[in-house]
Amino acid sequence: MTDPSGIAAIGGSFRDPTSRVYAVKSDTLNETGRILRGLDHEALDNCHKLMGTAFFVRLLDEKRIVSTTFPDNNDAAVKDIMRSGWAGVVEHEVVPFVSYPYEWSFGMLRTAALLHLRILEDALNEGWTLKDSSPFNIQFIGTRPIFIDLPSFVPWAEGEAWVGYRQFCSCFLTPLMMRAYLGIDHLPILRSYIDGIPPMEASKYFVGSSRFRFGVMSHVLFPAMVEKRISAKERDNSEAKSRTGKPQSHSMVLGLVQSLTRLVKSLKIELDHTDWSDYDQTHSYDAEEHNSKKAFVERAVSGISSPHVWDIGCNTGTFSLISASQASQVIAIDGDHNAIEKLYLSHKDSAEANILPLVMNLANISPAQGWAGIERIAFDGRRKPDIVLALALIHHIRMSANIPLDMFFEWLKRLECEVVLEFVDRHDEMVVKLLTNKSEQYADYNRENFITQAKKHFNIKESASLKGGKREIFHLVPA
Amino acid sequence: MYKNFGTMIKRCVLYTFICMLFLSTSAHAYVDPGSGSVIVTTVLGFIAAVGYTFRKFFYNIRAKLSGKKKPKENRSLDD
Repeated sequence: MTDPSGIAAIGGSFRDPTSRVYAVKSDTLNETGRILRGLDHEALDNCHKLMGTAFFVRLLDEKRIVSTTFPDNNDAAVKDIMRSGWAGVVEHEVVPFVSYPYEWSFGMLRTAALLHLRILEDALNEGWTLKDSSPFNIQFIGTRPIFIDLPSFVPWAEGEAWVGYRQFCSCFLTPLMMRAYLGIDHLPILRSYIDGIPPMEASKYFVGSSRFRFGVMSHVLFPAMVEKRISAKERDNSEAKSRTGKPQSHSMVLGLVQSLTRLVKSLKIELDHTDWSDYDQTHSYDAEEHNSKKAFVERAVSGISSPHVWDIGCNTGTFSLISASQASQVIAIDGDHNAIEKLYLSHKDSAEANILPLVMNLANISPAQGWAGIERIAFDGRRKPDIVLALALIHHIRMSANIPLDMFFEWLKRLECEVVLEFVDRHDEMVVKLLTNKSEQYADYNRENFITQAKKHFNIKESASLKGGKREIFHLVPA
Repeated sequence: MYKNFGTMIKRCVLYTFICMLFLSTSAHAYVDPGSGSVIVTTVLGFIAAVGYTFRKFFYNIRAKLSGKKKPKENRSLDD
């Protein structure tokens, strides 16, 4: 909800009672102008102290923590937030596009886990700790992960255990081990368990010899056994036992953090060949036609000043890369995990990369979910793109996902943006392959109906024939 | 093949015992099974501290013997 002054509390920030994040609307359509955070007295005091620590300054220099300043207290937005009862306000650098752990490839989740552990280790070395291990505290700016939740930093009290250990295992370690050791697609599971996969549930996946893989016994099965015993002992009318635990030395906490760093670094996956992961080599275009298609896309993207681009069904990101030089940010989306993993791995070392790769099935995009459906925002509700690339995608939308053409165009229209859309005709060999062995032959999928639907929802600005008439590329603009 | 039937039975019993140890049930509403993480971090933290202390000791000894300075901290998020 936005109040009249244009300030809206962000849905995902209410769980920590010590602070709340507010977005201040920008004059520019679609953009978040400013991100402000209201803090209570204790969090404000911690924030002042934290900014004076050497580790925090170093992490800021390394661009691993969101850049944060204290705004002028006379600022109208700051005054509004203070009226809500907060003791102080800080202003954060704006993350161009919010993404969630259930949209990150294995490599992205692994890097986010290592960033969390790096920050925690640095903090512990200077007498600080992180009070939670939520993966939502990490965002990606392009391929660079960044920690965004300053109130998570609290002074470490002598004897205090790593309070975020269980959450770290549930949210980072367990899904990574499920993918690396068992080959399980962890993303749909993480989408359901937004607070992480509980040890008792996770233990059900590790059967047979997988129980003896590095870290499974210690960080999944042992916690599951302890939790199972607690559940069995304290259910019904039994009294709950207070568990404060024995004081833990600095070496115990730091040793545990370092051992988990080694464990996470040891987790690797093999990138199997899939339909899309080798698309650069296996697409059905010859070089000349492929260059014409690239030129068409480049022309459409460069027609908008610094656009926010979505490349939906991006494969390994050929056209995301072409757009990136003109764009402020490219969100590269594909349902094929390995294609996205390849895209991420090939750009993760580029500090200025403005491509954010995300794994998502377009027929089932990330929904609004969590408390009251406002805690996590639906993929298409976060920020509208300026231009969408949907290249050689529409036949999959119609024939693989059974989504009628008019419904696809309606969704695109709701985004209020330009679209570059490649139509793949029925006689293209890829459509022929798709229709082989299908009883439904999708008679409505033809050029005539495509043009009718396109014109009903958009104006056709430009089009070009490709692959000897088997395909056609369109630049559509809002009607 | 197992040398004798007795060995096979012993292995079956051992495997069944391990499996039973880790069988889990669902959580109950008033119980916070997550509170058990203080037990888990105490046990794992103790083991990790032994390793941490040993590694620190080992690196110091190695540095003294080889005369080399401690290597610069690897700040990378990769291997």
